[in-house]
Amino acid sequence: MVKRIHRVTTIVARIEQVDPLVKLFHLQDPEGWELPPFTAGAHIDIHLPSGLIRQYSLSGDPACDDTYTIAVQREEDGRGGSRELHDALHVGDELLVSLPRNTFPILDDAPVTMIAGGIGITPFLSALPGLIAMDRPFKLHYCASSRDKASFAAMLEQMDLGSRLQIHISEGGQRLDLAQVVAELASEEHLYCCGPTRMLDAVEDTAGSLGARLHVEHFGVAAGADPAYEVLLARSGQVVPVAPGQTMLQALRAADVHVPASCEGGVCLDCKCRWLEGTPIHRELTMTKKDREEWITPCVSGSASERLTLDL
Amino acid sequence: MTFTGKIEGLHITPRSFLPMRNVETLELIEGLGIEGDRHSINEAFHSDRPEEGRQITFFEAETLEALKRDHDIDLRPEQHRRNVTTRGVPLNHLVGRRFRVGACIVEATRLTTPCRHIEQITGLEIYEVLLHRAGLNAKIVKGGQIHLGDIIEPE
Repeated sequence: MVKRIHRVTTIVARIEQVDPLVKLFHLQDPEGWELPPFTAGAHIDIHLPSGLIRQYSLSGDPACDDTYTIAVQREEDGRGGSRELHDALHVGDELLVSLPRNTFPILDDAPVTMIAGGIGITPFLSALPGLIAMDRPFKLHYCASSRDKASFAAMLEQMDLGSRLQIHISEGGQRLDLAQVVAELASEEHLYCCGPTRMLDAVEDTAGSLGARLHVEHFGVAAGADPAYEVLLARSGQVVPVAPGQTMLQALRAADVHVPASCEGGVCLDCKCRWLEGTPIHRELTMTKKDREEWITPCVSGSASERLTLDL
Repeated sequence: MTFTGKIEGLHITPRSFLPMRNVETLELIEGLGIEGDRHSINEAFHSDRPEEGRQITFFEAETLEALKRDHDIDLRPEQHRRNVTTRGVPLNHLVGRRFRVGACIVEATRLTTPCRHIEQITGLEIYEVLLHRAGLNAKIVKGGQIHLGDIIEPE
C-alpha cells in the first residue's frame, strides 16, 4: 500500500455533476496550500481507497495553483475505477494523488489544432484558459456520437470561442472530416488528438506525415489474453507460469516477484522490465518501437513464444 | 573558521511535494524542527526514515547564481526545497560544526543530497548539477525565531 507521505494528499473539495455520466472532482490540499504545479495536458494518478490506481488528465486551469480538477466518465462496464469515484467518493474525503506528469504537453508557442473524442476532451480543458489568455491561435474539434455524449459542449459554447470551436455530432451527420482538418493545417501547426483508439488510429493514418507535429493521447485500457506461457527470470533462474487470462504482472505477483506498477493499463510504464529472449507481444500504448526492442510492460503485454526471458 | 553571512530567504511547506512558501520568520524548536514544516510533523517524504539532521536545512544563494551562470537554469529560492537560503556561508565546510543563525544555534550533520522528485516538481533537469551542492542538514541546538537578514556566523 502506498505511503501517504509519498503522495500528494488532497481532499475532495467539490463535486460537480456535468451530466448523468460525467462528474468533475475538484481536489485541494487539506489546508488550502498550493499544489505542485502542472502544465496543460498533464495527468495524475489517483489512488482510490480500494487500492486501485487510475490516471486522469487534469482539466483545470494550470494558473489556478490550489486545485486539481479531474473529469470522470462513469464506465459501467469498465474496470471499476470510475464507478468507485462516482459512487463512493464524497466531498471531504481524502484522496492521495501522484505528482502531475505530462506525456501530452500542449504547446502555447505554436498554432495548435486539437481533436477530442468524447471524454478525450479532458486534457484540452486545461489548455484552453492559457491559449485564450495569451490570444494564441487554436482550433478545437469536439467529437461525440450524440449530443447527449458531448458532456462539455454546453460549457465550451459558453466560452464564446467562435469559429475556434467546432462540435461534431456523428449521429447528426456532422462527422469530423479528418482529411480536411489535416489539409488546413499551417506549416508550423501542431495537431493533438485524444480519444478512443479507433479515432487515434484514424488520425495516425491520416496525419502520420506530420511527424513530431502530431501528438496523440490514449485513454482506456490496452488488454489482451494469451494462451499459457512461462516467464524465465534470468537473474534468479525462477520460472513463473502465466495462465490463460492472467496478466504477466499478476503471475509475477503470485510468485512473490515484486515489480512496481501503477496504471496497469499499459500507459504509465512504471512496470517496464528488460526482456532478453523470446517473442514479446507488446500491448502498451506509449513506448517507442525502439524501446520495445529492449523493454516490455508485464501489466498488459504477453508472449507469442512458450517462454519469455526477463532480466529480473 | 571565520565567516559572516546572512539569511537571504526562509521557506516552509507543511507536506511532501507541496510548493514551499517564502516567509519572513521561522520558529525553530530545539531538537524537533521548524514549526509547521513537514519535517517537524512527520509529513515529509522521508519521515518514514527519521533523521535529526532534517530539523532544518540550508542552501546557498551562490549555488542558485552558479546554476544560472553555468547551466542557464533559473531555480528560484523557494524551489530548492530547503528552509534557509544563505549568502556568504560556506555550507559544505560546516559538517560537524555548530553555527549561529540569528539568535539560534544549529549543528550541521551532513551534506544534503538532491532528490529526484525536485525534477518532477520543478520540471527542471537539475538533479545532477545539484550533486555536492544541494545544501546542508542540521539539528537545532538552541531554538527561537529567525528572520530574513539575520546574521549567520560560527558559534
